[in-house]
Amino acid sequence: MKPMLSTDLNVAATTVEKVKIEVKNLNFYYGQSKALKDINLSLPERSVTAFIGPSGCGKSTLLRVMNRIYELYPKQSAEGQVLLDGKNILDRSQDLNLLRTKIGMVFQKPTPFPMSIYENIAFGVRLYEKLSKAEMDSRVEQALKRAALWNEVKDKLNASGLSLSGGQQQRLCIARTVAVKPEVILLDEPASALDPLSTAKIEELIDELQADYTIVIVTHNMQQAARVSRQTAFMYLGELVEFDRTEKIFTSPREKRTQDYITGRFG
Amino acid sequence: MSTAASLHQSRKRKNAVMMALCVIAAGIGLAWLALILGALLYKGLTGVSLSVFTEMTPPPGDAGGLLNAIYGSIVMTIIGVVVGTPIGVLAGTYMAEYGRFSRLTTVVRFINDILLSAPSIIVGLFVYELMVRPMGHFSAIAGAVSLSILVIPVVVRTTEDMLNLVPNALREAGTAIGAPRWVVIRSVAYRAALSGIVTGILLAIARISGETAPLLFTALNNQFWSSNLNAPMASLPVTIFQFALSPYEEWQQLAWTGALIITLTVLGLSIIARSLTGRREDR
Repeated sequence: MKPMLSTDLNVAATTVEKVKIEVKNLNFYYGQSKALKDINLSLPERSVTAFIGPSGCGKSTLLRVMNRIYELYPKQSAEGQVLLDGKNILDRSQDLNLLRTKIGMVFQKPTPFPMSIYENIAFGVRLYEKLSKAEMDSRVEQALKRAALWNEVKDKLNASGLSLSGGQQQRLCIARTVAVKPEVILLDEPASALDPLSTAKIEELIDELQADYTIVIVTHNMQQAARVSRQTAFMYLGELVEFDRTEKIFTSPREKRTQDYITGRFG
Repeated sequence: MSTAASLHQSRKRKNAVMMALCVIAAGIGLAWLALILGALLYKGLTGVSLSVFTEMTPPPGDAGGLLNAIYGSIVMTIIGVVVGTPIGVLAGTYMAEYGRFSRLTTVVRFINDILLSAPSIIVGLFVYELMVRPMGHFSAIAGAVSLSILVIPVVVRTTEDMLNLVPNALREAGTAIGAPRWVVIRSVAYRAALSGIVTGILLAIARISGETAPLLFTALNNQFWSSNLNAPMASLPVTIFQFALSPYEEWQQLAWTGALIITLTVLGLSIIARSLTGRREDR
């Protein structure tokens, strides 16, 4: 176990904590244009980290590097290192499918698969585990309970996932992600398409999930970042401007650009 | 004030003229369709009887049915679809999934579009050179192959289009859960695009079930019952072509009835295809 965070922006941890993900000298390109510039940061295990910043600042891009989902598209490339438990996931030898079972992701728009609620969750589990019917049933139930959705859907597990409301669909997506037992969960603006009540539920859920998972959330909503995260990274024009404990970022940021963004002077 | 009013008046007049023109054009189009369907029903229905489906095509001057032609059409259509559909679906899958960003896809799409609008008689001639001449005789299998060549471009096009309508977010979600590419395609993309792909296949069946030209050069025709794929086989379109041009009244009547059967089949397939796409849009 590493004793302390070692980057120059390591103020995040006040106590000795294990680093789950460490980003080192990361650059990212969309074709010729550089979207991330020399990013360095360390995410402590079992806590929530928020990425904030104006549109196009690279926060989603940084998130999409962490499970290498960007590789679905041509002409996108990453340079540098992203260490998961000390192992570089950008390495060519990294098995992408296995990486993605360890690092789950939930998207801005709810994306239930075109199948039943039960199958939505069983689908991912079945890819890597052979479970009996009873074991699968209990896995599905656990996942739905974990996502605070069980009570609403327990009587209609065979209904289409698409029949649920937007907020329920998003919790279904979280349940689906949790069901494959990942170590890290990446959330890309998970509540931006939801109403305030559903948003509150998702935030509550994030708060509970951090006991077991390392969570990274990208959000446009600064209040949300302040509510759910323990450390916050402010990004601007592809650079990591400031990374610190959340209350520090929101009360006494070191950088003027952070101050300006937090107080609504731009962005 | 008065110029504004007169401008308004002239716009209203132009609008009325344009609308009248559009209504007339639509009316003319519909009227022809109604006339054709009406004539078909009027002339075809009188000949519909059980013997149409139980008896063979008769010699001139005799009564008979269309059984061998109906059977031949069904057999060749089924083989054409069974051969053409997998090729079309897989090619469309390559274009929309694996090769989405590749240059090959652009080339294939271009060629496929040419094939889609190529006159079917050329396909008939092509298969004639490819199969009928080397084999030395016309055959049902050559007919089926020419039909499958007509199926492929239709299915390629609809499969690609329907898969392209599946949001990328869904593919990303499948990928993000650790599913390999082919599982994402099979379990997520196909499922989301299923009704559209099936619609494409139904439209392809509708298209080939009325084709005459490619069969003239390949399966030819057969007055008698034949289930031998290596021999000439009767089909509804070719029988209609032959009987309608003949001077014999019984044959002409059978041609009308055959035309009605094909039209109703195509109509039925189109309605099913329509309802399938409709259901997807409702969701």
